[in-house]
Amino acid sequence: MASTVSSPKRGTDTGATQRPQDLLTKEDHLAVLQQLYLARYFDVRLIKEKRRGRLTGTLYSSHNQEAILVGSLYGLKSTDWISPIHRDMPAFFMKDMREGWDRPSRKGMSIEDLCGQVWCKATSPGRARDNWSHIGSREHHIIHSTSMLAGTIPVAAGVVYADRLNGGDAVVLTYNGEGSTAQGVFHEAINFAAVHKLPVVTIIENNFWAYGTPNHLEYSQEDFARRADGYGIPGTVADGQDVFDVYDKVMEAVEYARSGKGPSIVECKTYRAYGHGDHDDDRAARYRPTVDESVTYRQMLEMGRQRDPISVAKKRLVELGYLTAEDATRYAAEGKHATQTTDEDFPPEVVDYIKRGVDAATQAATPPAEEGAMWVFREGQP
Amino acid sequence: MSNTLTADPSAPIKKNYLTGLKEAIFEEMEANPNMVCMGEDIGILGGAFGVTEGLQEKYGSQRVIDMPISEACIIGAAVGMALNGKTVLCEMQFIDFISCGFDQIVNMMATYHYRTAGEVSMPIVIRGPAGAYSGGALYHSQMNESWFLNSPGIKVVCPCTPSDAKGLMRAALRDPDPVLFYEIKNLYRLGKIEEEVGGADAIIPLGKARIARKGHDLTIATYGQNVYHCLDAAGVLSTEGIEVEVIDLRSLKPLDMATIQASVAKTNRFLAVNEAPMTCGFAGELVARVTDTCFEHLDAPPARLTRMDTPVPWAKALELHVLPSIEDIVREARRLVKY
Ligand SMILES: Cc1ncc(C[n+]2csc(CCOP(=O)(O)OP(=O)(O)O)c2C)c(N)n1
Ligand SMILES: [Mg+2]
Repeated sequence: MASTVSSPKRGTDTGATQRPQDLLTKEDHLAVLQQLYLARYFDVRLIKEKRRGRLTGTLYSSHNQEAILVGSLYGLKSTDWISPIHRDMPAFFMKDMREGWDRPSRKGMSIEDLCGQVWCKATSPGRARDNWSHIGSREHHIIHSTSMLAGTIPVAAGVVYADRLNGGDAVVLTYNGEGSTAQGVFHEAINFAAVHKLPVVTIIENNFWAYGTPNHLEYSQEDFARRADGYGIPGTVADGQDVFDVYDKVMEAVEYARSGKGPSIVECKTYRAYGHGDHDDDRAARYRPTVDESVTYRQMLEMGRQRDPISVAKKRLVELGYLTAEDATRYAAEGKHATQTTDEDFPPEVVDYIKRGVDAATQAATPPAEEGAMWVFREGQP
Repeated sequence: MSNTLTADPSAPIKKNYLTGLKEAIFEEMEANPNMVCMGEDIGILGGAFGVTEGLQEKYGSQRVIDMPISEACIIGAAVGMALNGKTVLCEMQFIDFISCGFDQIVNMMATYHYRTAGEVSMPIVIRGPAGAYSGGALYHSQMNESWFLNSPGIKVVCPCTPSDAKGLMRAALRDPDPVLFYEIKNLYRLGKIEEEVGGADAIIPLGKARIARKGHDLTIATYGQNVYHCLDAAGVLSTEGIEVEVIDLRSLKPLDMATIQASVAKTNRFLAVNEAPMTCGFAGELVARVTDTCFEHLDAPPARLTRMDTPVPWAKALELHVLPSIEDIVREARRLVKY
């Protein structure tokens, strides 16, 4: 997948070929692979829990889109902000992982907190008041979304406007499905950010589908990067299957934003692994060019057996000599349907980490019923 | 600011409604360095009606932001700023345009405190010129407060005097919750209601109604410019021996039910008057609450007088036809007293 930089304002053509990923160490590369497993396993676990009827609400799987989350989050500072949406569940616990993902002193939201939310428990940072991805945390700099697609982009712009007034250098990453780019507020917010050169990086997870509507019925421009031209801001296309390409493109956008030059759009091209949500998995066949589900799932993998983000990352690590060919085959989650994987397909420390969250959540209490009527206003119902 | 050149310097300085608002905004900007103002044309121009005249000059373009014509973004960005510690005053150039920011108001802003179980407050005031009776036609005349009263998490305020405009704006800007502030554009520069507006300590808490006229035969609860229509009607009725108590609610949420109940216990009759359309409007809510809580005091069915369920038309005769008039109020009051 070719990457393009559509705006003349970026990519200063100095002939320098060093990419942000070239500055990553061996440890970084291994950590990135580890995080891909973490994101995948978290999703796999939720799919399985949901199928066993242990969860309420709808799961929008992030399977096959993990490289976008891991690659974009890896370079952030803990003072930076993010606004994940429905398909980005792993982002909540994966922000601020660079400083040591398994360290208790880590700044980000804990897996226990996130699982508290998914399991509808009082341990959720939002005390289970709105579902799944609609949590956030001012402390961890995660913006709380609503269901209304693209609705968090103006909020993100306001957050960094305020940060700048306070003398901060925070950048905000907003995550958006390509479908949400058709919302009016998407335009309003990016236009505002562009006018004030606000450090807003708009990540578009283009997974070809918006629920049941394919790309060609959603927008008419080939790349969203071109839409950036209309705002006078840079736009880039990243290979959404390649975590290091996402890292490069997002890091460039983040540094550009942090240095005061303004917002940009990074489109990450990918493909949705299943139906829109687990509620329409049985209709997933409709989302493929053929009607046979087993064939179509294979087709997706055909497009990407080597294009599974975990495979792509492993290949790179082997090339770099950071992973032996033998190590690369130790775990075999890639290219498998979630229900076909077992815990043995993942590194044990990854399984343990997620298990900690699940165990804590299943043991936690549900919030008391009367909380349903609380917190409409600061001081009770007037 | 028409009364800056009074002949007698010791005489009290009377100020108009717009000046009351303006003083509140300037004083809060001064007192609260974390306050930001956003809106269309509020900076360089000073606002379509001049409410923020001079504000950007004094506090700079970082804190007084001339926004693109993007109501949803104005509200959404205000939410983001509030999330990051700011107090934000947003102007809707006309309150009618608030519909373009509707989702951000009712789903994003109004629910934030609820969704976060109290972690994040939203000290945001959205203000804007409202009200009919001025030839503004469909999209420059609305009183759309009931949309938001039906959306949990938003306070709604509507002052009708210069001192209330000032005192309630001060309180709204210190409130931890989102407040929609309906300014009546017909009152901005109305000379006959000019009064002293109080100094830097003039703060009027939200949720306290004001008895605009005392009476014992009928309670009328109203707000905005309808307060003056009701007072005029009360004057007419008084010549017939009917003494009406007129309550200016000032704040619809929180609502001062205690003042309404005390009045109805005395008058035994209730009429709600407002210029919003009838169905599911706030007048209906008042009637329901009075019915629920004052039933045994009532000698007549509680009633409401509102705009017809129509948009606000342009041509004067059409406009006045659909809106409550002084004559309508007088007629309705007589009916209730004779009931
Ligand atoms: C404003 C709005 N309209 C409709 C919906 C219902 N809805 C939820 S997700 C979705 C599809 C979103 O597609 P896309 O933005 O591409 O994200 P994806 O699910 O593919 O990651 C729709 C239509 C919504 N949440 N918000
Ligand atoms: Mg999509």
